[in-house]
Amino acid sequence: MPINDDKPAMEVRNLSFAYDKNKVLREVSLEIEAGKITTIMGANGCGKSTLFSLMTKNLDARKGQIFLRGKNIRNLNLKEFAQKVSIVQQYNSSSDDITVSRLVSFGRTPYRKTMHGKSEEDERMVEWAMEVTGILDYRDREVSRLSGGQRQRVWIAMALAQNTKILFLDEPTTYLDIRYQIEILELVRKLNREYGITIIMVLHDINQAIHFSDRVIGLADGTVIVEGSPEEVISTESIRKMYGIELGVTQIDGQKFVLMV
Amino acid sequence: MEQQVEQTDLLKQDQSRKKKKTVRAVLSFVVMSVLLVLLFFAAVNIGSLKVSFPALLKGLFVEYNGDVATIYDLRFPRIFISMLAGAAIAVSGVLFQAVLKNPLADPGIIGISSGASFVAVIITAVAPGLFFFTPIFAFLGGVLAFFLVYSLSWKGGLSPLRIILVGVAVNAMFTGLSSAANSMNGGNMEGVAAIVNGNITMKTWDDVYTLLPYVAVGLLLAVAFSGMCNLLLLEDKTARSLGINVNTMRILISLVAVLLASISTAVAGAISFLGLIVPHMGRILVGSDHKALVPFSMLLGAFTFLLADTLGRTIASPYEVSASILMSVIGGPCFIILLRRSKKYAN
Repeated sequence: MPINDDKPAMEVRNLSFAYDKNKVLREVSLEIEAGKITTIMGANGCGKSTLFSLMTKNLDARKGQIFLRGKNIRNLNLKEFAQKVSIVQQYNSSSDDITVSRLVSFGRTPYRKTMHGKSEEDERMVEWAMEVTGILDYRDREVSRLSGGQRQRVWIAMALAQNTKILFLDEPTTYLDIRYQIEILELVRKLNREYGITIIMVLHDINQAIHFSDRVIGLADGTVIVEGSPEEVISTESIRKMYGIELGVTQIDGQKFVLMV
Repeated sequence: MEQQVEQTDLLKQDQSRKKKKTVRAVLSFVVMSVLLVLLFFAAVNIGSLKVSFPALLKGLFVEYNGDVATIYDLRFPRIFISMLAGAAIAVSGVLFQAVLKNPLADPGIIGISSGASFVAVIITAVAPGLFFFTPIFAFLGGVLAFFLVYSLSWKGGLSPLRIILVGVAVNAMFTGLSSAANSMNGGNMEGVAAIVNGNITMKTWDDVYTLLPYVAVGLLLAVAFSGMCNLLLLEDKTARSLGINVNTMRILISLVAVLLASISTAVAGAISFLGLIVPHMGRILVGSDHKALVPFSMLLGAFTFLLADTLGRTIASPYEVSASILMSVIGGPCFIILLRRSKKYAN
């Protein structure tokens, strides 16, 4: 099947996965709509990390299929996949003395041909990625001298330099103070709204997930429990199903909030 | 407005830092090249025979001179072997450190060299007729040692400390096996002793020709893979998301590193710590970008090992201390200093 832009950005069909005998995902099926922000949520051990790894080709889907615009991602090699989908991993590290612009330029790796230098397109995309993420001012600084929030922007810029229409983020706010958490999520929203990038992310904070997502997919015990817009699906009952805890849900200015204590 | 000014100031500061680093890197390359050339001529002239520089050039290229001919036959081979082996071991260290994500990896310490020398020893003892193929057997020995270290220290991930510990054990085992093989043969096998002790006293031009092609190919491959080494410094998942098949790259680069280490071992003997100290100094001088680090480590490795060899044959003249023994004496303390200074492995 060739890539077909009329098909959903990504589609998961009857996906099961087990580590040895420990079943982590059971017959998961879901669709990711193009141009939307979708957040995968659920308690620890619900299978969201495994689902994330499978959808980003870090694990091999043996039972079930995953499609990218109608094409089975199993039939795309890593380089082809990296030209279509970029990923910001939860934990990142680099050498201490690498500069911001050099690290961002690694995002062009999927387009590099052996024995060829940088193309104009490479330089243009790297500039653009640094501009959008607001890190142009630090371009010549060593990554090790940046704050956590700035560093996360660099990793996002590297992913943007890959020039893909789909961006995955694995808990992009984990190691950050609340101010930087919100800044990063605002940036993610900007990438979606202004540049039309389809976002799929995993978030721990329920309220952030509600506030910044067009759609949420809730997992529990390896199956999809809820799928839809946060307004539709978030309720005391669905929270209990996902996290096994009774939490109140209230509404302020038409916006749902889960009371976290 | 004020913030704008501050931003441009910071940008300028960054740029001047970056420029300073570039200048330091370029200077390091120039100074190192000059030092290597000077050391080369010093090494040619150190020893019981001495000739002036014009006489040397004249003797080499214009007309026969007995002293120059002797120097050409005896000193030149060991000088070239020192430089080739030094460059190879240093670059091998750089590659191992990238592949294993471990700044303390060294082909000597993690047992690659002793694996290579053990197989070389066995082949020389069992089938002397295959002596010509020693480098290839040494390479297979190196691959075996690397496979052992890699598979035994893999536990869902590579812990830097576990690699060193397993490497020390593998190293001890192969060193022991080599000594045992040597003793069982009465301990008087010259070729074996040379490999085990890293003795490069009696080397000839033939040894240079054995070493040269393998080292040249290995070093060229190392340069070709230097961009990939930079990507391997990222987390594996991140490198993979850039379209890199991380495991395949690891194996390919490891094979180049094993080739360089084993080939040098087959000709110049097991050398410890060189592959650790040279890349470390290289990172301080030219930074950790492999596109600069790999070529610089060639220069610095060649220089360091030639210096060790030249010192070795002068400090206790007329007796000689082998370069690899000197490397161990100097390298051991350096390793401990690096280990203690390194934040990651201090606790």
